[in-house]
Amino acid sequence: MLTTTRHALDIRALSAGYGRYDVLREISLYVADGEAVALLGPNGAGKTTLLRAIMGMVPQRRGGITVSGTEVTHLPTHRVARGHAALVPEGRRLFANLTVEDNLMLGALHLRRDRARVSRLLNSVFELFPVVEQYRARPVTALSGGEQQMVAIGRMMMGEPDLMLLDEPSLGLAPLAIQKVADALAELRGRGGSLLLVEQRVDLAQQVCDRVYILTDGAITDECGPNLVGSDGQDVIDAYLG
Amino acid sequence: MTPTALGRATAAVASRRTAGRLVVPVVLVAYVLVTHVVALTSSYTQSLVLVAAVFGILAVSLDLVAGMAGLYSLGHAGLFALGAYATTLLNADLDWNIFVLLPVCLVGVGLVGIVLGLLSFRVSGLYFAITTFVFTLVIGVLASDLTITGGLQGLPGPIFPDFPYAIGGFGTALVWCVAACLLVTVGAVWSIRRSALYPVLLAIRDAEPFAAANGVRTRLVKVLVFGVSAAMAGMAGWAFSFLGFVSPGQFSWTVSVNILVMVILGGMNTTWGPLIGAAFISVFPVYVHIDPLWQELVFGAIFVLVIVFAPSGVLGVLTKLVRRPGGTTRTPVSAAEADALAVDPAALRSTDLPVHTMSVDPDLPAVECSGIRFRYGSGSLVLDNVNLTVRPGTIHGLIGPNGSGKSTLVNLIAGHLRPDEGSIRLHGRPVHGLDAAARPGHGLSRTFQTAVLVRELRARDNVAIGLYRTTPRIGRRALVWPVLPGARRDSRATATKAGAALDAVGMSRWRESRVADVPHGVEQLTQLAAACVGEPSVLVLDEPLAGLSTGEVTAVAGILTELKRAGVSVIIIEHQTKFIFEMCDEVTVLAAGSLVTTGPAAAVRVDSRVREVYLGQ
Amino acid sequence: MLQVLLSGLAIGGVYGLVALGFAIAFYVTRVINFAQGQLLMVAVMVTAALSTTGLPTWLAALAGLVGSAALGVLMYFVAVGPVLAYDRFSFAWLVSTLGVAIVLETGAAIIWGPTSRAFPAMLNNNTVHVGTGSLTLQQLLTVVVALLAVAGFELVRRFTLFGKLGMAISADPEMARAVGSNTRLAAGVAFGVAGLLAGVAGVLIGPITFANPYLGDTYGIAGFVALMIGGIERPAGAMAGGFILGLLDEGANHFINSHASDWFPFVVVVAVLLLAPRGLFSSGEVLRRLRRTTTPMAEGTS
Repeated sequence: MLTTTRHALDIRALSAGYGRYDVLREISLYVADGEAVALLGPNGAGKTTLLRAIMGMVPQRRGGITVSGTEVTHLPTHRVARGHAALVPEGRRLFANLTVEDNLMLGALHLRRDRARVSRLLNSVFELFPVVEQYRARPVTALSGGEQQMVAIGRMMMGEPDLMLLDEPSLGLAPLAIQKVADALAELRGRGGSLLLVEQRVDLAQQVCDRVYILTDGAITDECGPNLVGSDGQDVIDAYLG
Repeated sequence: MTPTALGRATAAVASRRTAGRLVVPVVLVAYVLVTHVVALTSSYTQSLVLVAAVFGILAVSLDLVAGMAGLYSLGHAGLFALGAYATTLLNADLDWNIFVLLPVCLVGVGLVGIVLGLLSFRVSGLYFAITTFVFTLVIGVLASDLTITGGLQGLPGPIFPDFPYAIGGFGTALVWCVAACLLVTVGAVWSIRRSALYPVLLAIRDAEPFAAANGVRTRLVKVLVFGVSAAMAGMAGWAFSFLGFVSPGQFSWTVSVNILVMVILGGMNTTWGPLIGAAFISVFPVYVHIDPLWQELVFGAIFVLVIVFAPSGVLGVLTKLVRRPGGTTRTPVSAAEADALAVDPAALRSTDLPVHTMSVDPDLPAVECSGIRFRYGSGSLVLDNVNLTVRPGTIHGLIGPNGSGKSTLVNLIAGHLRPDEGSIRLHGRPVHGLDAAARPGHGLSRTFQTAVLVRELRARDNVAIGLYRTTPRIGRRALVWPVLPGARRDSRATATKAGAALDAVGMSRWRESRVADVPHGVEQLTQLAAACVGEPSVLVLDEPLAGLSTGEVTAVAGILTELKRAGVSVIIIEHQTKFIFEMCDEVTVLAAGSLVTTGPAAAVRVDSRVREVYLGQ
Repeated sequence: MLQVLLSGLAIGGVYGLVALGFAIAFYVTRVINFAQGQLLMVAVMVTAALSTTGLPTWLAALAGLVGSAALGVLMYFVAVGPVLAYDRFSFAWLVSTLGVAIVLETGAAIIWGPTSRAFPAMLNNNTVHVGTGSLTLQQLLTVVVALLAVAGFELVRRFTLFGKLGMAISADPEMARAVGSNTRLAAGVAFGVAGLLAGVAGVLIGPITFANPYLGDTYGIAGFVALMIGGIERPAGAMAGGFILGLLDEGANHFINSHASDWFPFVVVVAVLLLAPRGLFSSGEVLRRLRRTTTPMAEGTS
């Protein structure tokens, strides 16, 4: 069973970084097919860098990355994005000069010739986020933070990627909006998606994820089930904040 | 530092110091010898060398703004033209003495540069290049369309007097004069590069918020540096007017670009690069005797090839070639090595930290924010009616989830942003109307969440930027820095202080390393040292522990304890709540732009609302 | 008066096409292509040279357009792309595009000789009367083509996925790559379109100026000035800048003196830069990204 399980993501001893020193140091982790994994750790530990490295946005120095059996190490970002992995970046980074629907359609850029598939995907986004359908013709800047986050998640879904990467989707959102994001992530899992989630809110990570990796100072320092973090307040905060 | 390393370093410093003393006489002798030879050669060679020298002045002056301050000026041909036409016209029409005209050109064109700078710096980056480009176009149009300038034909330039017969034997006087102008220009820029202003200029170029946080009024410095550069271009124009006809074609916009090409071709921000570039581009068309069209074609191809294959210029390539056998490796460092190299808490000598000498009223709060409201542009409210009081000599923690407005509050306190409503007081004095550069004067220093430092400078030079405010007349003295004994003394004092501050944060080993070559934690601690070296009474730290190893965190804790003992008030944003509750006297919690609670650390720690904020229940 | 307006629009259309090319290349790559005028010249020279070999004029003109577009693409991959890959924020492209401009100009002078040569007549010399003024068919064609070009650009930008991709790349190139767009290819296409527009301007102006290797300087600068008036951030603004510059040229010549077009537009440009440093039709949004260092404000809150 173990040998036949196809992993959505396999990272083997990956080192990556910009300057003379590696930000990520020999990271190994995996996300099984249909699994949701959280990546926790203090600010500056390299969580965002890891997601960016998977997308090929950060130079990979050593080691390798496989997404659903495809070797994506050293692949240019735009080719990783074509069905292998898609990213909801920190701060959303929607295309501010475009409408909601345009943002979503750009997420399905590599599928543009398959119109039926694109409209099916668009409908599934609208089904998950009815409010997004309601505002489809508005410029994204006219939406609230929570609604923008839904568009960002929708843009990621439109590429129908083998692996979904989310960088702090709860950042700067009101509690109600955070709950909606959590529900949406749970729904994505339910549909069989594979997720790697960087999150600061332990509760959100707990709600959605099967496993947790702790990243400290550029290296994986712990791996455990979601229940390492009980509901006991202070321990929780300390457990992943350092 | 091991004894041998220390010995080597001392020897290096000593030899550099001796070399420094020898430079001026050596250069003067070289000037006399070379100029003497040139001044006696054929007039053909002389005119060739003179043109190259004038363009050398222009290239060096452009390198001052483009290389050091990051301002890509395309206005230098226009400034050059102003100098040349002013000299020609004032001499011919008003009969002004040409030697009176030199200071006139320096000051006049310098002032034009300052005005142009003031107008252009309203917008940054590319628009600076565009505005100055249009300036050159306009000067070109004026020169060719006004009757007084002789239109497209131009005007004959004034005649430069020869040496009196009695002191003959020196050859052509003009050669001596132009060479002296070149020498002065190169000397001034060389001197700025060795002055305490140099790291500050690079910080304006690469790390503007860092420069401003250390009290540098960046816009003013940029305008003044551009003024100096313009004055040099004016001098080049003055010298050029003696070489024959002055006509619009010699100052077209392509000349501006050519000057920039000289700088990039030779190597930006180097002493010899602009000179090599100027010599090559001025002499190439004369020495390569092929069909003029083919020659021009080769010329254009060289532009492209150099930029594509050697973007760091001739000198950059040479340096690389020289360094390679020497083995200055730039290969990434392995994980184990990085661990071994990290900061050694045992090396920590935080008792050496410079502490503030400002007299502050112990009864007034060190920082007092009241009723702060802030939004970015017309966006939603980021901070809503936030109050914060920091008692003097205490450590005040600021916590809350990402996006709660902590960094915004800190940027307001440090003057990088201005509140829409509410007041900010430092030691009782209102500061909310002042900008970031005025904060150090009120005793406040800060660090940034992501370190913004000048990566090509050593850690020590970066820390020295923190001493900008306390170095007297840093700008004025920069032009002749290495020859002023007082300035040299100041440089040494700065180096000692900056070195001591780095020692105090446990970074002796990294003092002489370029920031580009140090691990992340060292960058963070370099920031901290730079913030401390200015002897602040209030220190604001934005996530100082982000990305630090356990040993480094211990080091920071030791430093904070030491600062507190010295009476410094500290505001610290941090996510490591364990650290916060252990270190801080008081803690304020923010969530979604509003104050959740504030009070003694022990009380906040057990407050159920804090848990809610983090757990989102 | 009306005649001034009409001739102003006609020449303004040419300036606008060059400026539109500048702006489209800038829109996608943040690079001002200093060889834009030389691409115009290439189209003119190729057309003139081929038509003397007996090729039908329309085929010669087509070859000229293909030439200038292809050179636009080529120059991106040879002289601009590698420079941006090394440091996206340096101004090194200024030097490399200027180098290309010199190579094209002197290359043309070597191949076809430095002097002017005849350019084939495109349309007969019939004139169209508009009220009290008149336009040659060629002039009328220029205005129509310029308007079609800017309308076509706006249609593509607003209503096709490709155009929206261009806007996405303009706003956030890295994120555009992360949704699967090959930004280098898009940049190459933008340079090709810029070259094509320059070529169209060249073929339209050719019958008036004749073919000369040094045409690029004149029209490159004119297009650049139009760009400054209209603002660099909006391609449609650049076209408007072209028409304004054309009107200023003709108006100055008519109302001041016959050489006033040499200097009067510059007075206007200076005034524009003093009052609206980013040009008349700029929003100022896009260019902020050009700033090398991120200020603490740009980092947002956390």
